[in-house]
Amino acid sequence: MPARSPSRRALLLLLPAAVPTVAVLGAALTVAVLQSTGLMPVVGEPDPTTAGYRALAGDRALLDGLRVSLGIAAASTLLALAVGLGTALLARTTRLGGRLLRAAAAATVPVPHLVGAAAIGLLLADSGLAARALAVEPGDFPPLVGGPWWVAVVAEYAWKESAFVALVVLAALAAGERELDEAAATLGAGPWQRLRRVALPLAAPSAVAAGGVTFAYVLGSYDVAWLLGRSYPEPLPVLAFRLWTDVDLARREQALAVAVVTTALALASLLATAALLARTARATGRTAT
Amino acid sequence: MTRAAPLRRRAGVAPRVALALVWLALPLVPLVLWAAADRWSFPALLPTAWGLTGWRQAADQGAAAALGRSVLLGLVVAALATPAGAMAGRALALHRVPARRLVEGLLLAPVAVPPFAVVMGLTTLTLRAGIPGTVALVCVLTVSALPYTVFVMRSAYTGYDVGVEEEARTLGAGPRAVLLRVHLPLAAPALATAAFLAFLVGWSDYVVTLVVGGGQLVTLPMLVGALSSATGNDAVVAAVSLTAVLPPLLLLVATALLARRGAR
Repeated sequence: MPARSPSRRALLLLLPAAVPTVAVLGAALTVAVLQSTGLMPVVGEPDPTTAGYRALAGDRALLDGLRVSLGIAAASTLLALAVGLGTALLARTTRLGGRLLRAAAAATVPVPHLVGAAAIGLLLADSGLAARALAVEPGDFPPLVGGPWWVAVVAEYAWKESAFVALVVLAALAAGERELDEAAATLGAGPWQRLRRVALPLAAPSAVAAGGVTFAYVLGSYDVAWLLGRSYPEPLPVLAFRLWTDVDLARREQALAVAVVTTALALASLLATAALLARTARATGRTAT
Repeated sequence: MTRAAPLRRRAGVAPRVALALVWLALPLVPLVLWAAADRWSFPALLPTAWGLTGWRQAADQGAAAALGRSVLLGLVVAALATPAGAMAGRALALHRVPARRLVEGLLLAPVAVPPFAVVMGLTTLTLRAGIPGTVALVCVLTVSALPYTVFVMRSAYTGYDVGVEEEARTLGAGPRAVLLRVHLPLAAPALATAAFLAFLVGWSDYVVTLVVGGGQLVTLPMLVGALSSATGNDAVVAAVSLTAVLPPLLLLVATALLARRGAR
């Protein structure tokens, strides 16, 4: 770090990104907290209350939403990590296959999640391509779209986020795996040993980070669960949007309460990821020495 | 023995690569087929009548105008988030930043706050202040894009040799010449990647536009959402969906080519 650069210059350079971030997030979260606690009502005088949160806690919708949101996020993250990590480790073993896999993974990045959801719908609906390919009558096809197990929703997130995980891990491995791998091979390490001792420790931090980002993203994402999910239970963002658009304006306070709860969960999951990363870094440091 | 091992490994690798490629490409297959289908009755594995009805219906539904709005939204977000991200990225990579961990955490914070929560809070405020919804839309999306541009540019500037700028200055180049002739050309590939990611944030958004505009502002994802939530629209859904996939895909190829030229 060149210490000679004056830090005043650094502060000026940071302002155009930091000011909007602080202003928008600060304003939005402050308003969300104030309005959900009755301090900034849509109509009438401010009156501090936890009624919005209590109404939600009494209503099963929030608890069911929590359960289903966490379940979808956990399942999607685990699948995306397994497939993405596998794809990345596979891509580094062959030259042509690696280039094809990189290109295919990169090609999914510009697909909007909602478009991915529409595509998964055409694939997994009871008269979709999968049912046609397997020659199953629509009545006999399992309810993957809008069914009790949220299969299509999880499939969409797992699909797009596995490509994200693969790209992140490949970028991390590119940083210096080849030299270490060749050194290990020269020292007589077999492919399995090199995978376990070289590639996986190098990939682990980036995989943990990508997994944490995926979990927080899925937890707070609306489109896919709205399109491919069922009407009840609703994942938290879907619940929040329904309350937000309710004709009863008091419901807006509950919508913002759901927004506050979802934000707290996403934030907590990323803080947990950061803690896990610090531990992974220490563990990797031990392996290397 | 030692020679047979890599051969055996290679033979096992090809099917696994094929499987991973199928996983990554499969969801897009029904889109491509439906976009070329006039009729596709149930048990048939391929469309029963090929044609471009979906595209004509998409045009009737205003896909062209929606495409224009999406392009504009993506460009505005990229134009705002890229320079701001580049400056912050440069500061983080090349300067001594006080309270570095705090600053980095702050710049990453938009990843941790769900966009629907941000936009619900912010529109409550902008509605009261009488600020147009599009301003809130652009603000929320730009802030969502900043973590990508900041951290792409930070990693680019980490491998950047400031010495080249100093040499140019020693040779008599002014600050403007250093920026235009040395700094920007060297940073161009990373700037292209950052701008592309920021563009995608605006281009792909659904929920922020939905909350701000209440369905009034019809971008491509809004059209996809409206059409695909009803049944029997499969051909037009596929056509609009492909309209939402192909432009950024072409942009991605262009960015990759630019990056390759930059690397040379």
